[in-house]
Amino acid sequence: MEEAENVSAKPSQDGAGNPAPDPRIAEQPDAGLPGAASTNAGTPGKSPAPTNTRNTGPGRLLIAVYAVFAISATARAGYQILTKFSEAPLAYLLSAFAAVVYVVATVSLAKPGRTAFKVSLVAVLVELVGVLVVGALSVFDSVNFPHETVWSLFGRGYGFVPLLLPILGLIWLYRRRPSARQA
Amino acid sequence: MDAYFYIILVVGLLSTIICAVAGIMKKAPNDTTILSVAAVELSLLVYLIGSIVRVAGGERMAGEAWEFWGYMATALLLPVGAVYWAILERTRWSNFVLAAVGVTAVVMAARMNQIWY
Repeated sequence: MEEAENVSAKPSQDGAGNPAPDPRIAEQPDAGLPGAASTNAGTPGKSPAPTNTRNTGPGRLLIAVYAVFAISATARAGYQILTKFSEAPLAYLLSAFAAVVYVVATVSLAKPGRTAFKVSLVAVLVELVGVLVVGALSVFDSVNFPHETVWSLFGRGYGFVPLLLPILGLIWLYRRRPSARQA
Repeated sequence: MDAYFYIILVVGLLSTIICAVAGIMKKAPNDTTILSVAAVELSLLVYLIGSIVRVAGGERMAGEAWEFWGYMATALLLPVGAVYWAILERTRWSNFVLAAVGVTAVVMAARMNQIWY
């Protein structure tokens, strides 16, 4: 009996020492990640620096919406080019270009690192210029832009989300720019 | 617009409201929000089976068949992908990702109805 107690007591003593710090380590990233940087500023124990801060919190929603647009724009451009390319080559090539921009933005936003940050910055800027230029052209020069693209009429066919998305993307990229945390 | 669309409309909007409210209340994805998205998937599966039965019964759709099935396949993958993406990081923002599924499913079901009729 005594031996058995001794044997069982030893691991429990070791075990009692170990679990105490473990939950704290496990809890801290969970509490720190959901955009609670301002409330967490007082606690200095935030040692594990996250490698990618762009695909957490609101970033996940942004990437999800970008992914939906990447899929729908790719499918739509593919459909337009395969079935009726000769009707409006310029509009449908623009559709394909928009699809590529959305795919690049989705992938680069999800990836960690400075290179991915630069890629997504360029992609989001191209997207913003694209939606503004194509949107303006489709309003003022409707003769040459009669056929629909994602960016026609500033993305009205998609609830103006294509216009909103690059603005939110730029805000997000600015708030999570690499120099602010690493340099 | 047929009954399938209205089922997806009701289920999709309910799911979006449930998930968005949970997100606003700063809750992480839980059984309620994930099950509401599962209900969207279920309603899409009903539409899928109903459409297969209708095509097998000799009914012809007005638009391109492969466009309809393309929309159907994409719509069926959306809830699965969103739940996977949401449970990888269980924060309130993942609930907004789940909220996007319902609305997207409604829009895609409307487009599928347009192709069919």
